[in-house]
Amino acid sequence: MNTVALKRQQTIRLPGWRRRLLLVLVLAGFVVLIARSVYLQSTHKQFLQQKGDARYSRNIVLPAHRGMITDRNGEPLAISTPVESIWASPPDLEMNKEQVNQLAALLGFKPETISKKLANNPREFVYLKRRIPPELARQVMALKIPGIFMQREYRRYYPAGEVAAHLVGFTGVDQIGREGFELAAQDVLSGKEGSRRVIKDRQGRIVEDLEAVKVPQDGKNLVLSIDRRIQYLAHRELARAVETHKAKAGAAVVLDARTGEVLAMTNVPSYNPNNPVNLAGRSRNRAIVDLFEPGSTLKPFSAAAAMDAGVFDTSSIIDTTPGVMHIGSATVRDVHPQGKATIAQIIQKSSNVGSAKLGMSIEPKALWNVFNLAGFGQVTNVGFPGEASGRLRDYKSWRPIEHATMSYGYGLNLTLLQLARAYTVFANDGELRPVSLRKQNEQPVGQQVFKPQTARAMLEMMELAVLPGGTAPRAQIPGYRVAGKTGTAHKHGVGGYQSDKYVSSFVGLAPASNPRLIMAVMIDEPGAGQYYGGAVAAPVFSAVVSGVLRMLAVPQDAPNDNIVIPPEEAPVVQEMV
Amino acid sequence: MMQVLGNRLRYNAPAYDQGLLWVTLILLGLGLVMVYSSSIALAEADRATGHQSTYYLVRHSIYLVVSLCVAAVTFQIPTQMWQKMAPYLFLIGMAALVLVLIPGIGREVNGSRRWISLFVVTVQPSEFMKLLVAIYAADYTLRKAAVMDSFTKSFFPMLLVMLLVGGLLLMEPDFGAFAVISTITISILWLGGINVRIFAGMIGMLVVGFVLLIWSSPYRLQRIIGFMDPWADPYGKGYQLSHALIAFGRGEWFGVGLGASVEKLLYLPEAHTDFLLAVIAEELGFVGVLTVVALFAWLVIRAFAIGKEAIANERYFSALLAQGIGVWIGVQAIINMGVNMGILPTKGLTLPLLSFGGSGILANCIALSVLMRIDFESRRIQRRLPV
Repeated sequence: MNTVALKRQQTIRLPGWRRRLLLVLVLAGFVVLIARSVYLQSTHKQFLQQKGDARYSRNIVLPAHRGMITDRNGEPLAISTPVESIWASPPDLEMNKEQVNQLAALLGFKPETISKKLANNPREFVYLKRRIPPELARQVMALKIPGIFMQREYRRYYPAGEVAAHLVGFTGVDQIGREGFELAAQDVLSGKEGSRRVIKDRQGRIVEDLEAVKVPQDGKNLVLSIDRRIQYLAHRELARAVETHKAKAGAAVVLDARTGEVLAMTNVPSYNPNNPVNLAGRSRNRAIVDLFEPGSTLKPFSAAAAMDAGVFDTSSIIDTTPGVMHIGSATVRDVHPQGKATIAQIIQKSSNVGSAKLGMSIEPKALWNVFNLAGFGQVTNVGFPGEASGRLRDYKSWRPIEHATMSYGYGLNLTLLQLARAYTVFANDGELRPVSLRKQNEQPVGQQVFKPQTARAMLEMMELAVLPGGTAPRAQIPGYRVAGKTGTAHKHGVGGYQSDKYVSSFVGLAPASNPRLIMAVMIDEPGAGQYYGGAVAAPVFSAVVSGVLRMLAVPQDAPNDNIVIPPEEAPVVQEMV
Repeated sequence: MMQVLGNRLRYNAPAYDQGLLWVTLILLGLGLVMVYSSSIALAEADRATGHQSTYYLVRHSIYLVVSLCVAAVTFQIPTQMWQKMAPYLFLIGMAALVLVLIPGIGREVNGSRRWISLFVVTVQPSEFMKLLVAIYAADYTLRKAAVMDSFTKSFFPMLLVMLLVGGLLLMEPDFGAFAVISTITISILWLGGINVRIFAGMIGMLVVGFVLLIWSSPYRLQRIIGFMDPWADPYGKGYQLSHALIAFGRGEWFGVGLGASVEKLLYLPEAHTDFLLAVIAEELGFVGVLTVVALFAWLVIRAFAIGKEAIANERYFSALLAQGIGVWIGVQAIINMGVNMGILPTKGLTLPLLSFGGSGILANCIALSVLMRIDFESRRIQRRLPV
């Protein structure tokens, strides 16, 4: 070792305190780290975990399967079918030109549309196309393009289309009912959606469940009272009549006469619930929601009320001459004066004067009471959204002329369903049966309106109305006896009743010997010349009910050749309007 | 009697520091497990890795095997050799730092030129520079021992050298390596007995320099802002730190379990390198963090004890180098963990021995084998055996 080196060795100082100070400083750093770690991992953890949850825990909705709506035989009227929605995550997207073209071809876009939609899109979720058939979605996924995903959704499908559209209604994109029973039974049909709280990784894949999965409860099925076959038939015939007579609209209701179940309820114009667009004026279920003045179809009730009160019987003769009746300043008029007539003839020929005399033979209160019991102006409680109640004014406010017009169906309004319901009294020995749109397992309890013999007598009288000499021979059905009553009412518009606008209606029962079916038909503003209920509405009844009677295998109560066609030269019996 | 007994115990003691070896191996093992755990999702999601989940595991394992082999060879090199070679090694290191900056030789990743491609491997010279600086500073301090009170003779030349090294590192830029290398140099000068007043002045200058650097480069300022309040801009500048902190919060005392981290599922960037501790904190909880901190503290204490032993044996170069290595490992661990916990600004420093990265692991292993060699030589001296 040379001297320089030796000198250096001697002058070296490595003081112990410097070493200890430095060590303490470094160790102090470790202590600070431990303190900070304790703070972060215990004191501050709630805040941090909450921030973490906000970033990667997600609530996933588990959709409940929406219940089916079926007809009384279980035939589907509304079904949820699985469809797929294709979406993209632009940041993860990797596709070449050929894949863009393939994707566009499958989805029915132009390639530029796809490129425009996805290029430079900062969002992480973009729908490419919603609600496509599963098979098509599988083809899209088979392209195996990173960043393209599919998502299961449900689409509501309505097999009966426009035929049952008003009754069934439809749902919006969000699977919430917007019309009809889809709306009315929303809670029952929708069930309860479940949920899953999960942690997702940054690519959106589920990593783990945070809490117990809330299992979705599927919606229940809803069984309607209608029969799809009857519904089809009724709709077809109604639509034909509305078209033939260039009418504004039409509605029809077919009831099971005993149970009050609605076997068909249809309206024209209708719409396609699978693609509900241009709904204005087409989406109303007129049979329940719209009111009209029934006119002559109400005459059997005023006549039966007079008979029930004991004022008249089937043999009574009522003098309707001279076909005009003055009440105060007002006049009740028959177009073809009937002279002296029985109640049966008044009903058969639909005499206004006769009906007014029958109605005015009893107190307003008694007539009101019968109308009220028959359900005029009373909601039917079928559970349909937007049902109209109609209006039957209190008898105390009736003026004498109103007492008279009420007797032949003016001055009150009601729904077609209410009218059909009222006719159950003639099918059930004077007992009114509640109507329903849901399938009933038991025959409902009714309410007595007329004495049984009165109801039976009125049914027989109404048979005359559909025979030659009556107002509606075109309501006849081969092989079955039919009872019914026409109605032709002026429409009430601006400035009173309008002379050129009518509501033509017909309510009939069949078979008349033991009624099983009631059908009410209403045609609004027929515009092709004919407007009498017997000419416009009665043929619809005949066509539909003859079909239904055979469909239901109802035993015939008349020979096959029972139909009597009025001779060519015979005058057509026209209703008093 | 006690003295004799003590000597005999020493005589029977093993020839090398088994504790140091085991702590090192435990840290390396833990690092391997955690690098794998934290990199699976990243590797699977990345096209560049061929979507292989074991991509980083395989590479890290290779690094470990190579590093341990190199460390075993390094252990054979006498400490004196390091001292003799100190200036030359330092020059080689400087040359490498220059090469990194030359386009075509240096490789740029994420805006930093820190790597040199050597056939199949890429090398990060700054990692090795940390060891070379420790060796050089220890040698330098001893050479200047007689003039430690003189500013111009002892401190000023070192300052120039450091400015040169620092300048090269900041051109990459590698601010983290610069901070570590500065700390190593200052610590060794301090231990070597530099005049307290010079030392105080130097610290003051450094503080001024750091502040100037931060204000001059906007990206460093951004890092400072992100560090001060990550929740002010949690999806922008504070993104990485906020996710690291969430990982700590989720870990609680005992962690969510090995492999169960959510943050590593591509939320936390650099989970397998700079932010490995956050994944440890989430999966193994406070217990895991405490274990890592304790192991590093043990390493530092052991390095200083080895240094003290060397002083007792009048092996001053060994003493300064041992403590320099201790400071390096300790300070780099503290900075990295401090960054993970949000008490230091984001630096781009790895966690020694644990984080993924071949150069880092290799440099750390070489440094620890040098440390073991120093201890080995001390033991031999105590047994009166030739070094």
